[in-house]
Amino acid sequence: MIPSTVTLLAKDLKLDLRSLENFISMLFFGVIILLIFAFALPIEDDSHEKLAPGLYWVVFLLSGILNLNKLFQIEKENGCMDAVLLAPIPRGSIFLGKMLENIIFITAMQVIMIPLFSLFFFEGLMVHFFELLGLSVFTAIGFSSLGTLLGGLTTDVRFKEILLPILLFPLLVPLLLASVILLQSLVGGNGLFAEADWLKLLIGFDLIYLVVSYLVFDIVMEI
Amino acid sequence: MFQKVIGYLALAGLALSGYIIFLWVPTESSQGYVQKIMYIHLPGVWITFVAFFITFLGSIGYLWKRQEKYDILALASAEIGVVFCTIGLVTGSIWGKPTWNTYWTWDARLTTTLILLLIFIGYLLLRKFVDPGEQQARFSAVVGIIGFLDVPLIHQSVSWWRTLHQTSTMFSRKPSSVVDPNIAMTVWISLAAMTLVFIWLLLKRLKIENEQRAFFRQVANMS
Repeated sequence: MIPSTVTLLAKDLKLDLRSLENFISMLFFGVIILLIFAFALPIEDDSHEKLAPGLYWVVFLLSGILNLNKLFQIEKENGCMDAVLLAPIPRGSIFLGKMLENIIFITAMQVIMIPLFSLFFFEGLMVHFFELLGLSVFTAIGFSSLGTLLGGLTTDVRFKEILLPILLFPLLVPLLLASVILLQSLVGGNGLFAEADWLKLLIGFDLIYLVVSYLVFDIVMEI
Repeated sequence: MFQKVIGYLALAGLALSGYIIFLWVPTESSQGYVQKIMYIHLPGVWITFVAFFITFLGSIGYLWKRQEKYDILALASAEIGVVFCTIGLVTGSIWGKPTWNTYWTWDARLTTTLILLLIFIGYLLLRKFVDPGEQQARFSAVVGIIGFLDVPLIHQSVSWWRTLHQTSTMFSRKPSSVVDPNIAMTVWISLAAMTLVFIWLLLKRLKIENEQRAFFRQVANMS
């Protein structure tokens, strides 16, 4: 299972790196949302400190959903989905490959977004760069697990661009709450471990949906 | 036949509960007349959870046995659940204004119910956007299952976030929660009546869906 996952992951990353279309559009979309918030919200610094933890994850979710919508696009456009499904590999490795691709994408994007976020909106984030990046990876695991499952599910569905967030965002509420509160604690100078319960909830959510999505993906991809 | 009997029983139950709610049961001392909305609110929320649980069971049943009847059961129950969920939220809102002095508050159970409503509206939308058939049943079963599995997580996260609701009076065994026996009996009778209404609606919806599918199959065979 692991070799086939790596092969699929390498294929996707190679294709993405060659064109960079997805990555650049995601990144610019994120920056534009950030600018809209900066214009729409009051300019005082102390209000930004309160708003930053929430906004960071809003930007995260809205730009992350772009990649999920495109996740199975390449396969679909060239009719490769059938070929991938026919290959003698477990369906689970298709899931894992796509999910890992998405996590790598999001993490790479956050590496650029965190400095931009502190530049344009709230300086305090840059101080906690590595903790925040780690937290983003954990949020990305839950986000990508459910997102890959639902992204695969909506590939052939009409109005999938709108249906995916409608299905995905309500399910992500526990994850979002946990991430917001952990980031609040980080910005408040208490560190991630001050909110141990939320950390457990975040990791629990990741594990539950990683396993459930992995198991259910088989059913979604039946032909 | 069975459905007709249930229908008349539900009608009688509603008439009876209407009578005892407005004419027989004593008005509650601290909240006054407004408390009577509880006799609609509580059964509404109760039916919501029963209905979504049936959708969950129907979804599992479909993925396990692959028989259309489970899919129809899940669909019918989800539709009724969405209606009762809306009733529960609206009556709760109306009740909240005089007692909590606000129509809406981000209380744990309120928020959980709202998110549940959003998840299952997404479920129904998905059903609309996928063409009828085996794929539709499979996709909706997946969403029905992961949507229901999310409820404990959502509830846990939202209650840590903030809470205001009175603790569950009807089902807790704590000695402190003394309920007037008349009020308790009224609640049970209205619960029973509403459950009969739910069963009647469910049977009706199952019949309609079965007939509709049979009709479409006939049309498809003719052409």
